[in-house]
Amino acid sequence: MPREFQRGHKARISDLTAGTDLYVGVQISAPGLTFDISCFGLDADERLSDDRYFVFFNQPKSPEESIQLLGAQAGDTESFRVTLDRIPPQIHKLSFTATIDGAGQMSQVGPGYLRIVAGGEEVARYAFDGSEFSTERAVMLGDIYLKDVWRFAAVGQGFDGGLEALLKNFGGEVLEEEAPAPAQAPQQPQQPQTGGAPGFAPPIQAAAPPAFGVPSAPAAPTAPVPPQAPTPPPAPVPQPAAQGFAPPPGVTPPPPPAPQPPSVHAAPTIVAPLTPPPGGTVPPPPPAPAPYGHPGQQPPYGHQPPGPAAPPPPGYGQPTPPPGYGQPTPPPGYGQPPYGQVPGQAAPYGAPQTAAPQGTGVAAALDKFKETPTGQRWTPQNGKLIRADLGIGGQPVLARQGSMVLYQGKVDFSYKGAGFAGRIVGNATGQEMQLMRCTGQGQVFFAEESTHLHPVELQGDAICVSAENVLAFDESLQYEVRRIEGHGIPGGALFTMQFQGTGTIVVKTHGTPVVLPVTPTTFVDSNAVVAWSAAAQVIVSSQVRMRRNAYPGHTGEGVNLQFRAAPGNFVVVQPYEV
Amino acid sequence: MNQPLAGYAPAPVTARMENHGSHMLKVAMQTGNDLFARVGSMVAYEGFIQYEPNPPAVRQIARDWITGEGAPLMKCAGDGLLYLADYGADVVVINLGGDAISVNATNLLAFDASLQWGVERVKGLAKFAGQGLWNTKISGQGWVALTSRGKPIVVDCGGGENETYVDPDALVAWSPNLKVKGKRSFKAQSLIGRGSGEAYQMAFSGTGIVVVQPSEDSTDRLRVRG
Repeated sequence: MPREFQRGHKARISDLTAGTDLYVGVQISAPGLTFDISCFGLDADERLSDDRYFVFFNQPKSPEESIQLLGAQAGDTESFRVTLDRIPPQIHKLSFTATIDGAGQMSQVGPGYLRIVAGGEEVARYAFDGSEFSTERAVMLGDIYLKDVWRFAAVGQGFDGGLEALLKNFGGEVLEEEAPAPAQAPQQPQQPQTGGAPGFAPPIQAAAPPAFGVPSAPAAPTAPVPPQAPTPPPAPVPQPAAQGFAPPPGVTPPPPPAPQPPSVHAAPTIVAPLTPPPGGTVPPPPPAPAPYGHPGQQPPYGHQPPGPAAPPPPGYGQPTPPPGYGQPTPPPGYGQPPYGQVPGQAAPYGAPQTAAPQGTGVAAALDKFKETPTGQRWTPQNGKLIRADLGIGGQPVLARQGSMVLYQGKVDFSYKGAGFAGRIVGNATGQEMQLMRCTGQGQVFFAEESTHLHPVELQGDAICVSAENVLAFDESLQYEVRRIEGHGIPGGALFTMQFQGTGTIVVKTHGTPVVLPVTPTTFVDSNAVVAWSAAAQVIVSSQVRMRRNAYPGHTGEGVNLQFRAAPGNFVVVQPYEV
Repeated sequence: MNQPLAGYAPAPVTARMENHGSHMLKVAMQTGNDLFARVGSMVAYEGFIQYEPNPPAVRQIARDWITGEGAPLMKCAGDGLLYLADYGADVVVINLGGDAISVNATNLLAFDASLQWGVERVKGLAKFAGQGLWNTKISGQGWVALTSRGKPIVVDCGGGENETYVDPDALVAWSPNLKVKGKRSFKAQSLIGRGSGEAYQMAFSGTGIVVVQPSEDSTDRLRVRG
């Protein structure tokens, strides 16, 4: 379930997803306008010190390919792949921007969004529309930035100037016309590797990881693909057309326009589209002197002749494009390198599966419930099930007893006794927590009572979790048990575990939790509290009367926890009182 | 007044069985195409549908299900739309199309009467009291609906020498061609004195899939209520 962001909201990426291989999609459209969507890789001073990290249509990837432009797909006007752990250390911020190409202003844009998809699931979405803007011609939509850890912020800040103003804002210069061309050249050889990125889900047919290996070979019923399968055609369309194409993603226009789409379409993997060197096999575009086949696109980035944009959008959605535009020329010449890879690449992302065509057979019917393959130690399979790969990281996992639902490989389970459990069991009756230690090689799936699971990755920071809400954690974490005593707490005290160090802890909640910032007046029911940042200080307050007072036989005094902490601390509460 | 609820009207029928939301099953019933459903799972119906609990056909096949109780299936026949649900469990609809699947008793919601089906005991697992005593193997051309507490996950056994171990409480269904056996995964020493939590698993090997629910709640709510 994607988390909805409003302008100004921020969140840690690790809170959204355990993955670092992200798909960032931007959907923005307005009648008669085209947009350039770009990503600026900024340094610590928020300057574009290295213009190789300005990823846009002419430079579709950063040198080490941590940021890649993927083109229009799955309803997104433009999409990027961001591999967080490959971003070089000097880059501290990725700013995703949209600029109007040609005349127009941001107030004209219709409802759009910026979304982050990880592991085939949309995890964050920042929706905006034209009413938030006025005469701006460029807008910074969102940032992925490094502040201790990678975070995401929904920005939504407009700029009156176009792309140039943005570039100046970031300290860049308007690049020379030639600049993009060399950038383009070296990437040709690199391109085949893109599919080989570890930890990234493979292309459709390459049945590499067994987890993904669907018996049925045709791509159509493969889990994440369905939405894409019909749509690859839009991919090779040059960006100006995306405006017309993107809004109706489900239209599934079989593309007669170009000779190119068939070759791209038929390509089994992402490598294939590259085999025709751009502009080589492709009929050379007569009207295109520039390398990208788009004469007007080149000189100033923002400005293109109104010509291509002028034909009304409806024309593009149809199988028969307007003759003036739908020539084979623009797609091959212009779109080749960045967009050519899309059909193959599209598969791993699998935008949220909306209309999976139901084939027959058990495999097809159950396809949408396939386990998600990623090379992470902790991988959420869905909101309620998480997989730990013991082989990655090589350390044992401690888990609540009985929480294992399935495992593959050689895994040993042993009772985790003594110290920890003893302390808890000794202290309280009815509040005991028993752990098991999972060692060996293999994958273990954890779940309990359909509770929502939240992997929390600690990198040196600390968190307190109510003992009842701990599902599993890496043994590398240091933990200590704390006891919060208070008259009226069931069992005499509330047990919390404070985790510290580097590793992941999986917290379970009944229902969707709420994360509250700690303010001087934050009170939480001790039965519903799940976790809080360790810097927050807990005070037991029993002044506030609660509805439980009404129960006969109750002491008549409810117990709330009050938190005292500096701004920035948080409390997690579940909608369920244990 | 109706507006907030307007979005929940049934969608036009496009198949024999469909999900209405993720927790409810909608079956398009026709005369001559009967359906077996769990007793007590009906939440609504439109049209003319008749129910026959404990029909002779079921009694025949499920003779050795559970002693002393009637078969937990009813036969539904008629024309109309039938809505089934199992206490808010997720419903998974499968068009078998000639495949076969073996379903845990509590997780079976409904299936076409035209399918071949039989009850089998999982070997070596009779000791699991309360569940896992029997499972239903279904094959043929037709539709099956399963329930799952929470969104299920499908794991490919891979076919290699590695076995896949599943908590029997969380098991929903599996490919019938998989080899099944019971396994005690905890060392004996850890069993002494203190309960170890994960005492038994079912081990699957071979080529096929296993469907698992993210919950170890295997209570048969429909039966408990009755």
